[in-house]
Amino acid sequence: MSTKLSRRGLLQLTGLAGLGAAVGTTAAGCASSAPEGAATWAMWSSSPAERKVWEDFSQYVEKQLGVESVPTLTPSSGYPTKLDLQLVSGTASLVTAINGQLLQTYAARGAHRPLDDLIAADPDFELDDFYPAIRKINSFNGKTYGIGFDVAPTVLYYNKTLLAKQGITPPSATEPMSWATFRDLTIELTRPGEQYGFSCAPAIDDLVSWIYCAGGNVMNDDITRSTLGDPEAMEAIQFVVDLFVKDKVTPPITNLVTESSLSNFMDGNVVFMQNGPWQVVNVRKAEFDWDIVPFPAGANGSTPRVSGSGFAIPAAVRGDDLELAWRLLKTLTSTGALDIYAKAGRNNPARLSAGTAFKPPPDNLGIVQQILAGKLAGGHPFDVTSNWNQVKQLLSQDLPRTFLGQVTVADVIGGLTPRLDVLMQQHQDTVRQATARKG
Amino acid sequence: MAVDTLPTTSIAPPQTKPVKAKRERNRETLTAWLFLLPSFIGFVIFTAGPVVAAGVISLLDWNLFSPPTWAGLRNFARLGPDPTFWSALGNTVYFTFVSVPLTIVVSLALALLLNQGVRRIAVFRSLLLLPYATITVAVAFVWIWLYIPHDGLVNAVLGLVGINGPDWLISDTWAMPALIAMTVWKSFGFGMVVFLAGLQAIPQQLYEAAKVDGSSAWQRFRNVTVPMLSPALFFVVVTSIIGSFQVFDQAFVMTHGGPGSRTTTLVMYIYRTGFESYDQGYAAAQSLVLFAFIVVITAAQFLMQRRLVHYDN
Repeated sequence: MSTKLSRRGLLQLTGLAGLGAAVGTTAAGCASSAPEGAATWAMWSSSPAERKVWEDFSQYVEKQLGVESVPTLTPSSGYPTKLDLQLVSGTASLVTAINGQLLQTYAARGAHRPLDDLIAADPDFELDDFYPAIRKINSFNGKTYGIGFDVAPTVLYYNKTLLAKQGITPPSATEPMSWATFRDLTIELTRPGEQYGFSCAPAIDDLVSWIYCAGGNVMNDDITRSTLGDPEAMEAIQFVVDLFVKDKVTPPITNLVTESSLSNFMDGNVVFMQNGPWQVVNVRKAEFDWDIVPFPAGANGSTPRVSGSGFAIPAAVRGDDLELAWRLLKTLTSTGALDIYAKAGRNNPARLSAGTAFKPPPDNLGIVQQILAGKLAGGHPFDVTSNWNQVKQLLSQDLPRTFLGQVTVADVIGGLTPRLDVLMQQHQDTVRQATARKG
Repeated sequence: MAVDTLPTTSIAPPQTKPVKAKRERNRETLTAWLFLLPSFIGFVIFTAGPVVAAGVISLLDWNLFSPPTWAGLRNFARLGPDPTFWSALGNTVYFTFVSVPLTIVVSLALALLLNQGVRRIAVFRSLLLLPYATITVAVAFVWIWLYIPHDGLVNAVLGLVGINGPDWLISDTWAMPALIAMTVWKSFGFGMVVFLAGLQAIPQQLYEAAKVDGSSAWQRFRNVTVPMLSPALFFVVVTSIIGSFQVFDQAFVMTHGGPGSRTTTLVMYIYRTGFESYDQGYAAAQSLVLFAFIVVITAAQFLMQRRLVHYDN
């Protein structure tokens, strides 16, 4: 039996097939959610090495909880946007990782729930085993919204090979050098076009460590006004800008997007780099000898930014899901899980009991925990607002221009301060709304 | 029975023909709808739906997570005193009104060149279309390297002719022209292909007649090529302007909108407002203003085409 298919028939068939495929794909997409009762969690992951760590985490979760673990891994740059959309659409995981800088943003808008009731009802959970800094970073408006998995102060990386070549003794691992000594060293070690004394990002994330060391801050304690114009903060900003513009001890800025202190340092011709211990795992690939020392001490001592991340539970998680979410969160932040994280060299774990797993190289890696424990130098938890994205966005517009020498620090800060003050007031409004919601 | 039906059958043809034709038309209509349906569903879900939703969201205060509250026209009123919005709009207009004419000139010039009986035209056409076929983010990263002040290819070439090139992407003056140059390079392929198709459709007799009348090459271009190419020109201008007003990728990747806010475009500002500041209502209000802007400009172009565009019929 033969069937003759007309041209029109073929077109109709093609149209129907296309429609069928579209409907089928949509249906399949809608049906591809995690299995019932699975422990779902979301985390950023931008490299195969990171992915390996989270896969190990996942296996650990399955072993501990006896349920299927379903991690959703997203490259870090797209993680917040994906998380936003999942939270809004009700498809977020039971537990989501949150960068400490954004915790307040989510908490203030009611995207995640406070954990205090769960902590109080669970005698097995030891909140005291977490460094005080990460507990502060994970809190908003007097409530705990996240449990930390990593925390670390900014430190100073140095290229031992270059220092040895110049016959300069490496800086002390216990006594932070002064800003003046640091500046002199960077000038001495700079040979324009060949070698540079220092590298950091021309952005607030790096600048804030210098501001804290000078005794300043981005905003006052009550978060009612910007204090970038205060003498301490101005001194710090001017000091760093001078390193770029006046002393020219930093590699020239070629653009404001791909500028990376890490890649500059890894090139092997930069002596000092400001960065966090989370880069230890990357710097281990360097083809030169290197180590870390405490951040240079300003008028307020060596008190650089301490930052970290944690896991939180979306506000929409309720009932049996909430019980599973809490068990999952505890497992993801348990000593066993954080040992996996620290052993892989990703960053310093947020729990004191997991600290021994974050091992050298480099030789001085132990200073990270000493700093956090208050035994050496110091640190300052990264103070942010509930609209930190907006603050950062505003600062990222004009502040980098000072590093290019296009405008003066005074002009930029003078122009930014009224707009920052408005953002501080907006933060206050958000806090009031959050408090009212809580009430 | 047979006798009864015979007369009916004999008079049937005049009645069946229209019925058959109607049935045929219905089938054609159904087929047409079947083909249109996937696209129509896509349009409703991904274009018309979001436009309507943006209209509603623009009247709300909504941070994505908390329940929205009624804002009325407040989000539109915020546009007036917002310097970043006006600066972003100004940057977008600057980008559009420089990049679109440049792209069209380059596209047309290359199309005219390829139309001169070049051998292996398909190879050249494919090569010149490659930038357009490459994703913008990848092209943008390549151009970041080209624009590096000291070691970049652009300044190296300028150095050969004694020009000390600027710090392209970090310069107040040159950041936007740098984005425009990259965009022209990335986009000319589309216009070139459309113009080439238009040029090849112009009857040769017209040129021959013009030559017989003693017209120069310029006169033939002005009086034959341009009028005959005007529908293609109109299409490229309209689509290019709409695309340029929505510029985002290159500015986001190459400059993050800087230095300062020199290259912050309107779509970038909308994205930041909506997804970094979580101010969905205000972002929706901005996007509606952009939508209105594009509609007005496109409508003006369609009004002008009556005078400027010549169709064969």
